[in-house]
Amino acid sequence: MPEVDWDFRQGMIRKRLSRTRHVLLVLSGKGGVGKSVVSATLSALLAGSGLRVGLLDADIYGPSSALLFGADTLPEEGKGGLTPPTRRGVKIMSVDLFASGRPLPLTGYGAGQVLTELLALTDWGKLDCLIADMPPATGDIMQILTSLGNEKTSGLVVSMPDRLSTAVAHRVLELLRTGRVPTIGVLENMRKVEPRRGGGVRGPAKLAKEFRVPFLGALPLDPGVTEAVEKADVGALLETEFAEALGKATLPYRRTLRTD
Amino acid sequence: MHELSLVQGIVDAVQETAREKKGKVTSFKIEVGELSQFDIRLIRQLLADITKGTPLEGAKVIVQREKCRVRCLGCGNRWGFEQLTGTLSEKNKEMVHFLPELISSCSKCPSCSKSYFEIEAGRSVRVAEVTLDA
Repeated sequence: MPEVDWDFRQGMIRKRLSRTRHVLLVLSGKGGVGKSVVSATLSALLAGSGLRVGLLDADIYGPSSALLFGADTLPEEGKGGLTPPTRRGVKIMSVDLFASGRPLPLTGYGAGQVLTELLALTDWGKLDCLIADMPPATGDIMQILTSLGNEKTSGLVVSMPDRLSTAVAHRVLELLRTGRVPTIGVLENMRKVEPRRGGGVRGPAKLAKEFRVPFLGALPLDPGVTEAVEKADVGALLETEFAEALGKATLPYRRTLRTD
Repeated sequence: MHELSLVQGIVDAVQETAREKKGKVTSFKIEVGELSQFDIRLIRQLLADITKGTPLEGAKVIVQREKCRVRCLGCGNRWGFEQLTGTLSEKNKEMVHFLPELISSCSKCPSCSKSYFEIEAGRSVRVAEVTLDA
C-alpha cells in the first residue's frame, strides 16, 4: 500500500478557515513589546462592535491570552471539535487552557505540532476576524501561520520606539514582504514621550515608511493597562487611554471588516 | 469526542486524494498513536459510520495501534508509552490526550531527567497508507 506523505489536518484547517473572513497576525519578532495586550484589547474592541471574533494564542511557549481574559476552563468537546471558551464576546483558544500554567519545554517542531492540532481541532464557527497573538521570533509558528495559503491573512506589526525593537520588527516586515503577506500597518507601543518637533521620522514610523505600509499611530505607556492586566479585567482594559488610542489606530482596519 | 472531528478530517482527506488522482480508494490504513490514548474501537466505529454511503464504503480499512517512541535530544535515550505515562495523573493524561506534544510538560527522560525530547512515533491518529485502483 502506498505510504502517505500528507497531513490530513491541513484539510481540516483549510475547511475551518474558510468560515473566517479575515486572519490578523499580531507580530513584533521581539518579546515584551505588548503584542498580547494589543491582541486582547483589539479582540475585545472588535467583539464590542458586534463582530464575531476569535483570539488564537499562537505564543505556544509563553501563552498569555487566556490569562488576560481570565479564561481557565478546558475547551468543551463537541461533534465539530473543541469549542473555545468565550469571554467578552471573544472566543479564546490557547495551549494554556490545557497546560494550566505548566512549563512548555517544546522543540520548535513540537510547538508547530501543537499549533497545527489547535488549528485543526478548534471549532470557531463563523468568524469575522481571527486574531493570532504571535510569539517572539520568526520560527516555526510564524512560518506555519504565514503559509496557510489563506489570502485573507494580514500582519499587524507592533514595535516599541527603541532601536532594538525596531531592528527586530524590521526582520519581521522583511519576512512578511518575502512571504507576500500583506501588512495592515506598523503600530508603535509604549510611547513614553512625544517626539520633538523637527526631529524627523524615527523608530516605528520610519520602519513603516521604509516598507511602504501605513504607520497606524502610537499607543501610550499607560499604567492603567498594568492594573487591568493584573486583575484580568478586560473591561477595565477597554477603559484605558491605551485602548482608546488602539481603537483610533485600528479604525481603518475595523471599517474594512465591517464592509468586506 | 474530538475523535469524531479527526476521523471526519481523515475521511475528507482520503476522499480528496481519490478525487485529485481520479481513482477509487480500495484500501487505507489508519494508525492510532498510543500517546493520544484514543480508543481504537471507537475510531473503527466512527470510520464505519462516517464512510457509510460515501465512495469509501466498501474500501478495506485497516486501523492499528502505533507504538509510541520518544527520543531524548539531550542524551539520545529512547523510551516508550509505559515509562512516559505510567505515573501521570488523570488530568495530565487528559491534557496529552488532546495535545500529545504536551507530554514534555509533565514527563522527563528516565536517563538524564531532561524534558527535552521529541516524539518519533505514535503521537496521534494519522493516515499511513492509501491504495487507489486508478
